[in-house]
Amino acid sequence: MQKAYSNKKIIFTLIAPGLLMFVFAILAPICLSVYYGFTDFSGLGAYQFIGFNNYKELFGDRNFWMSLRNSLLLAIGFICIQHPLAIITAALLDRMGKRAEGFFRTVYFLPNVISVAVIAYMWKFIYNPNFGLLNKMASALGFSGKTNWLGSGMAIWSVLIVLIWHGFGWGMLIYYTGIKNIDPVLYEAAAIDGADNKQTFLKITFPLMMPVIKINVTLAIISALKQMETVYLLTNGGPGNETQFLANYLYKQAFSSFRYGYGNSISVIFVIVCILATQVLNKIFPKEE
Amino acid sequence: MKARKLLSVSMAAAAALLTMSATAMAEEEPVTIKVFSNNPDRTADQGLVEQTIFDAYMEEHPNVTIEVEALDDEAYKTKFKAYAAGSEMPDLVSVWGQPGFIDEVIDAGVLAELNPEDFADYGFLEGSLDGFSGDGKLYGLARNTDVIVVYYNAKMFEDNGWEVPATYEEFLTLADTINEAGFIPVAMDGGDKWPLYIYLYDLMNKKDGTDLMQKTLDAIASGDYSDLAFIEAADMLREAAERGVFQIGFETTDYGTAQNLFTNGQAAMYYMGSWDMSMATNMDIPDEIRENIRCFNLPVNGENADPLALTAWNGGGYSVTENSANKEAALDLLKYMFLPENWTRIAWENGVCMSAQDFSQFATGNETEVQKQLMDMVAEATAISGTSIGDLGTSEYKTVCEDTVQQLAIGSITTEEFWAGLSALAGK
Repeated sequence: MQKAYSNKKIIFTLIAPGLLMFVFAILAPICLSVYYGFTDFSGLGAYQFIGFNNYKELFGDRNFWMSLRNSLLLAIGFICIQHPLAIITAALLDRMGKRAEGFFRTVYFLPNVISVAVIAYMWKFIYNPNFGLLNKMASALGFSGKTNWLGSGMAIWSVLIVLIWHGFGWGMLIYYTGIKNIDPVLYEAAAIDGADNKQTFLKITFPLMMPVIKINVTLAIISALKQMETVYLLTNGGPGNETQFLANYLYKQAFSSFRYGYGNSISVIFVIVCILATQVLNKIFPKEE
Repeated sequence: MKARKLLSVSMAAAAALLTMSATAMAEEEPVTIKVFSNNPDRTADQGLVEQTIFDAYMEEHPNVTIEVEALDDEAYKTKFKAYAAGSEMPDLVSVWGQPGFIDEVIDAGVLAELNPEDFADYGFLEGSLDGFSGDGKLYGLARNTDVIVVYYNAKMFEDNGWEVPATYEEFLTLADTINEAGFIPVAMDGGDKWPLYIYLYDLMNKKDGTDLMQKTLDAIASGDYSDLAFIEAADMLREAAERGVFQIGFETTDYGTAQNLFTNGQAAMYYMGSWDMSMATNMDIPDEIRENIRCFNLPVNGENADPLALTAWNGGGYSVTENSANKEAALDLLKYMFLPENWTRIAWENGVCMSAQDFSQFATGNETEVQKQLMDMVAEATAISGTSIGDLGTSEYKTVCEDTVQQLAIGSITTEEFWAGLSALAGK
């Protein structure tokens, strides 16, 4: 066995599938993206190399910066609103009885198993100013006038609520699993020492959850930057480009404006932003917990 | 000698028989024609017309199988591009005879050239195939004559004592009255954005329709949008939205929702193309609304205004692809589809749409009221606008035009900023 593992041919054969997968599914597309980012390719026919023109245009593109701002805003929303709520909910669930625990766990996770298209259209109807649930409820409570929830100025907040609500179940479930993996002996010891719920959460649950929090926050940031389907179906970036997000803007440029080269330059910046975000998180969260 | 003669005759007869049977066998050879369509609903509207024709063709040609892949417009265009970039393009495809779509597709050699002589007797209306041509060659056939109109609920109008407006001022005043009565004046599909630039183009056309398409093409090329009719039209669109002509949240209302607002009686009017004449035959719409759907041409008055000008164009159509594995079969199907007794007759008799061919020959007198009104409008039209502003430029121009016209309508940008935004795309 030892001999086999030191045989270079065998080692290469064993890692080849993974290596090939990485080269063809990840590395090659990124390289092609970088390549096309320097062209004016429309997706059809001939194209020319235009150097850094796409990048020059990108840095002066208001809609690109708005998309990036919205994506980062969503990431902040995930970190500051969704995740604190998710971790508290997970801790509360852990303390509930078996039936209630199972019931609420299912309820909170339910939005995640519903198709994105259904979610988007459901919220579209809820937000509709003419027959939507929100305005009907407001009217039943005595408020007059119709609020345009997806209108200019309000749309970004309405979209953020949907996205934070939709992703809540995943975050909660990962935290819940993390909490379940904490040795119950620690809680018993804390209880014997007279620790209350708050102290138990802050001194035991929270510190031991740091690795899970790190993973969850990283996933949240990447998911915020990659956000596409819900926005596409809910507002498609509108009105104007007020609810435009990075991935949706990339798609719009590449497949609606048929500026494939420009879309690829956005994707290159997109990858760089993702790498930077991961590096920042690595700095924030210590490697050894 | 006699025997040799007999043998020769027998051999010739056998050869003839063999040739005939070989031809018959060749005729029976199974063929699968792949159709890529932008009509996903195969049980209603234009999808139904398409499917009816395909079914009839397969019945007449038992060796032919037609496989249809259908997607909504936006998804269709994206996948079309993906197909075109690859090597397995379907045989017969939906296309749009508008520069924003068809120019680069023709340039890339995706579409097969058609022989205009083959369709000389098909009764295509004058100019209807222009958008499907490039460098004097024909690459596709137009499916419809699309006219933009204001649909209205005649019963609602009658019950409330409202009159069909004769001027734009009357139209705005009527909208105020309808708002006061608690209804939505005009259901507008602003979420899809293109109806907004068609509204703008409609106003431009009515304000000063002289050679509008050429004027617009020149403006797109030069970036000079200083024509007074252009500026006034943009102001009028903005004013209409500000004054509440369209429903609250029109900028995020999609096609289906806008139509529903009208067909469930929440809106008194609905701004859409003639293809929606099928509402009058759609049994899913309540009787009291379906039977009272009428339409009028948006009235615009002014010094150079032409009340009989129509904002109309030949948008969708079909092409055979250049690299099709079954090019001849696909071409035969295309010819069959556009025999006047097929597309034009079936579409007209079912109240689905007005084809780009002479549909008046199929008028029976049993048409819906909307059909009759549209027929009259086309017959009386003094000027036809042609392709709308957003569809006259590149794909990038279309996207920017869509975004900015929506921003203009909701007041996020001014008229000057709107035209400046389009002007910046000159030469791109």
